[in-house]
Amino acid sequence: MPRFFIRTFLCALAALTALALQAQQTEVVLSASSSAKLVLGMASPKVSGIEDSQVATEFTAVLKRDLDETGVFAVLQERLPADGAPVKAWKEAGAQWLLNVRLTRGAAGDLQLEASAIDTAAEKAVFTKPYKADRMVPLRRMAHALADDLVARLTGERGVASSRVVFVRQTAPGVKELFQIDRDGANLVQLTRHGSLTLSPTVASDGRLAYVTYKGGAPEIWGQRRRDGAHEKLYPATGSGVMVSSPAWSPDGRRLAFVQGDRRGNSDIMVLDLDTGRARRLTDGNGINTEPSWNPNGTQIAFTSDREGGPQVFLMQDDGSNLRRLTSEGLYNASPAWSPNGAMIAYVSRFEGKFDLFIYKLGEGKAYQITTGVSTSESPAWSPDERRLVFTSNRFGSMQIFTTDLSGRQVVRMTELAGCQSPKWTRAR
Amino acid sequence: MRYGTYLVPAAIVLTLGSLACKPPKTAEEIKAETQAAFNEGYQAFKDGKARDTNPYVNAKDAKENQHKVTGWYEGWDKAKADKDAADKAAAEKAAAEEAARKAAAEKAAAEEAARKAAEAEKAAAFKRAAEAALKTIHFDFDKSDIKENDRALLQGIADFMKAYPAAKVEIEGHCDERGTNEYNLALGNRRAAAALAYLKTLGVDEARFTTISYGKEKPLCTEAKEACWSQNRRGEFKLK
Repeated sequence: MPRFFIRTFLCALAALTALALQAQQTEVVLSASSSAKLVLGMASPKVSGIEDSQVATEFTAVLKRDLDETGVFAVLQERLPADGAPVKAWKEAGAQWLLNVRLTRGAAGDLQLEASAIDTAAEKAVFTKPYKADRMVPLRRMAHALADDLVARLTGERGVASSRVVFVRQTAPGVKELFQIDRDGANLVQLTRHGSLTLSPTVASDGRLAYVTYKGGAPEIWGQRRRDGAHEKLYPATGSGVMVSSPAWSPDGRRLAFVQGDRRGNSDIMVLDLDTGRARRLTDGNGINTEPSWNPNGTQIAFTSDREGGPQVFLMQDDGSNLRRLTSEGLYNASPAWSPNGAMIAYVSRFEGKFDLFIYKLGEGKAYQITTGVSTSESPAWSPDERRLVFTSNRFGSMQIFTTDLSGRQVVRMTELAGCQSPKWTRAR
Repeated sequence: MRYGTYLVPAAIVLTLGSLACKPPKTAEEIKAETQAAFNEGYQAFKDGKARDTNPYVNAKDAKENQHKVTGWYEGWDKAKADKDAADKAAAEKAAAEEAARKAAAEKAAAEEAARKAAEAEKAAAFKRAAEAALKTIHFDFDKSDIKENDRALLQGIADFMKAYPAAKVEIEGHCDERGTNEYNLALGNRRAAAALAYLKTLGVDEARFTTISYGKEKPLCTEAKEACWSQNRRGEFKLK
């Protein structure tokens, strides 16, 4: 928080400060007020072999934040019963579940975590799980794993606290590289060192990267053919000089949709088969076609096209047939992102000079606005559990990474890094 | 009695015979004789009494058929003289060649220097012409049409390309920060293509151009206002 104030004073922009404070307040108030969440009481962890302060910052605080951002738990914050209070006291304080945690560090530095949750009404255990980790595993990763298991127990689908976001960040003027960050904003890792423009990351379901880099002058698609393999040129196979952009792994990770621009100014969606090395053009050289996004079973592609004037979102089969326009309102709709379960497509729409996130629900045939604000929100990408979107916004001045729930009310800043773009959310890295 | 008839005379003959014959020379004796002959010749050489007649010509021939002696020497002298003359001629020729080569090298160096100077001057002129001609053009928001007042700039580029037929140029398309990264990459490609198409209508071979788009990734100006955006929506021309 002090850092934040210093930064804003340095900016010396009163309007910006007011805006920032307003946004921060909104985050706090709205995240605690949802009634549809299960209220979870967290008893103080029983600790042996570790410093209490370390547990507080690297485990308890991380777990609380993870659970708060799941959207299904609300961690009890006020009127907490004293240590060792009976379950009844927690029930009276409002907790539906009570989480007990015992953390032990062994002689060899190994970690043991025993977690159990009790339904305070029925007074019976709803969750028990022991965790073991060697000395190299940080405490915060155990907190992420526990949060994910609690979400799985409640909703049937694992949470995303252990997931990561891959994104592009400017490291010097004209130089952009790929980075990766944990879902809670910790553990920043640089993934590429090409020393040139490196853009448009896409992450396959097994964690393989593909992206565009200008390291050879003209743009080329680089990526990994094998999991954890070296980064190598994927397209064009020989020579260069074609204008490629916007790669997107197919859900099975064997094909790569991308965009190739020609010298007449058209850009077309292509699909590269990684096994045969053959690339096939899907669109017809009619204006700009870009930003391909696969549906979850890899049979259809959503993309942006300006064939009817301004950019709009279109759908087609993965062979280019059955082309149809999706968005009907607005003059600038772009950047479609098909949801992991296939029922929704997130995109951005321009209105009065700024961009906001929208979600098109395919079942209803209707679009819903997610973000509203005086700033721009861009590049939506889905969380693996489909509960949130990650996106970039300049609401605090420079382009930074945020996440939002699908109501648009719980917007959380993920990083304080400036100059970020094209985030992609993945479980596989 | 019967054997004594042959054996006794035979023994007498062998005994007398062996007494009458000289014993063969031993190796030591041959060596000593050879050494003595050598010493004799060596002494004669040292005393200036070395043989001055051709041992292969007898005294009569030396007197009556002198050619047998002189011819042998003359041939030898002629061969030597011929060889000397040939050597001298070769040396002279080599010296002349060396001199010629030196002169040629000096001339070539001078020419090279002159050519380099001319080339540098030409390159500088080329660079000046390129700098003067390759001006940035600008576009309207989400548009790739060539603006009226940029046509003169493009005509200047076309003139430059015609004046320097070896020049190759890369056309860069750029966009402002509004709009998605990917759409702007495609839009920048369209802007580069529009400039290329216009230059083609001015009669420049399109094979001399390459096009590339940087979308909104390389802005000249980073403030969020129209004055800045209009600078960033541009086409740049770079020598390749």
